[in-house]
Amino acid sequence: MFKTITKRTAMAAALGAFAFAAMPAQADVIDDIKERGILRVAVKADYKPYGFRDTSGAIIGIEPELAQDVADELGVEIEFVPVVSSNRMQFLQQGKVDLLIATMTDKPDRRKVISIVDPNYYSSGTNIMAPKSFGFTQWEDLRDKPVCGIQGAFYNKKTGRDFGAKIVAFKGTAEVYAALKAGNCVAFVYDDSSHVATLEREEWADYEMPLPTIDDAPWGLAVALGETRFHDMMGDMIEGWHKSGRILELETKWGVTNTPFALTMHDQYK
Amino acid sequence: MNNSNHKIMPVMMAPRPRPNDRFQLQSWHGYVLAAICVAAGVPAAFAATDPGQAGMFETLLRWMPLLLKGFIFNIVISISAMAVGTLVGAALGLGQISLNPFVQKIAWIVTQFFRNAPWLVLLFFAMFLLPFEVKVFGLTIPLPDWLKAILGLSLPVMANVSEIVRGAIQSLPSGQWEAAESLAFSRTQVLWRIILPQCVKRMLPPWMNLYSILTMATVLASIVGVSEVMTLTGQALAAEGGRSDLLIPFYSFVLLLFFAYCYPIARWTVRLEKKFSVIT
Repeated sequence: MFKTITKRTAMAAALGAFAFAAMPAQADVIDDIKERGILRVAVKADYKPYGFRDTSGAIIGIEPELAQDVADELGVEIEFVPVVSSNRMQFLQQGKVDLLIATMTDKPDRRKVISIVDPNYYSSGTNIMAPKSFGFTQWEDLRDKPVCGIQGAFYNKKTGRDFGAKIVAFKGTAEVYAALKAGNCVAFVYDDSSHVATLEREEWADYEMPLPTIDDAPWGLAVALGETRFHDMMGDMIEGWHKSGRILELETKWGVTNTPFALTMHDQYK
Repeated sequence: MNNSNHKIMPVMMAPRPRPNDRFQLQSWHGYVLAAICVAAGVPAAFAATDPGQAGMFETLLRWMPLLLKGFIFNIVISISAMAVGTLVGAALGLGQISLNPFVQKIAWIVTQFFRNAPWLVLLFFAMFLLPFEVKVFGLTIPLPDWLKAILGLSLPVMANVSEIVRGAIQSLPSGQWEAAESLAFSRTQVLWRIILPQCVKRMLPPWMNLYSILTMATVLASIVGVSEVMTLTGQALAAEGGRSDLLIPFYSFVLLLFFAYCYPIARWTVRLEKKFSVIT
């Protein structure tokens, strides 16, 4: 009696850990969303002003507002799923979210696993933020110097490999700013749009963004592979945003200087 | 029988208390340590306040309700993972002392595998290998992130409980088994009526230690994006525009939350250990 119990429980324990293998079967995602009445969107919650939390815990910002437009178009409620760079594509592949608008750079290898929609809705480039006293003028000046970055950001690789900087990677921007002030690194390599927003504050008056922006890369909004109907619908929506100047309007609303990319796209589709 | 040693040694020796030791840790030492940590954080917070910005206490106060909500999440994850891990782990521990060599081997392998795997790796497995929902007979059961975090963290707990159970059972003097068998108890009866009741006392302190460690480990869930206190702290700091002066106060607050929750458990464990250290 006892033996069979232990045998069963031991087997269950061994198998239980790996036992889930059911895959959800899906028809068309637009039908699913309408049936469910909820659009689930992956957004960032730590990337001011593109997606961040207010003190009540709600996720707000430019990207959540764009997602809200999509939900309004479909006539459904919205549910935000906060993501980080390391899990956002998995969530879309698994079907945990229907749509991904999470500051993701559009890259060819990413297009193989998820369906990135054309045209791009936003863009940003790589630049550094450094004390004015250092007087950096070109990327080569960073050679062999410690430069702060965010873990998992793709800018780190290029700055380290092509310009010989020693990357010191941190978990979040707050840690980087502290390290920069403490002198643990000479510069912070990140999005130029983020730097512009930070440098406007008095606290950073002695700092500048001295280098030419490189790798100006578009951001991709994505749906799961094979969802052609939703893909086409999102393509039309993005064109609509560019046409109506919605992106420029949101930039102004959330305190970002209108970016050249958004202005060019508005002109192109007007 | 044992001719070389005439003295009969007791089976277990209680550690002798040393009441006059000046360096013995007292419970208030922990609270003093916590107070020092807070005091050290305060000047750093005041030093860098710009006139245009809200003060650090004010900012922390505004975010506190959200952070506390996140911390409740940590506690829920830790209690649930402990419950699941203890149930499965106890079964696994009994499997390890099974007389069936096959069951014993399997239980041993499972225990060793999960006990020696990094917790974070197990968490990653649970997050990315499990689907977000399971369909059983047309019924859709969602598997939200927090549930996956519970499952992922219960795996190492399971393996550690398994070892605690096995260790406790084997620590009992074999005379207990022999005496019970001589009274014609079956193996199941011996285990449930004689051995396990005695083991519970011995298992309690290490089990509570494990719980404290698990509670600390729940912040690992922040790496996979579960909205617990560590994740929310990072997001709050980002929402404040990366003000570097807030870094220490915010993380000190998280540290204090965990300390306030785990320290009483640690003290209680010490008391229980003292209580049960008497020869049984």
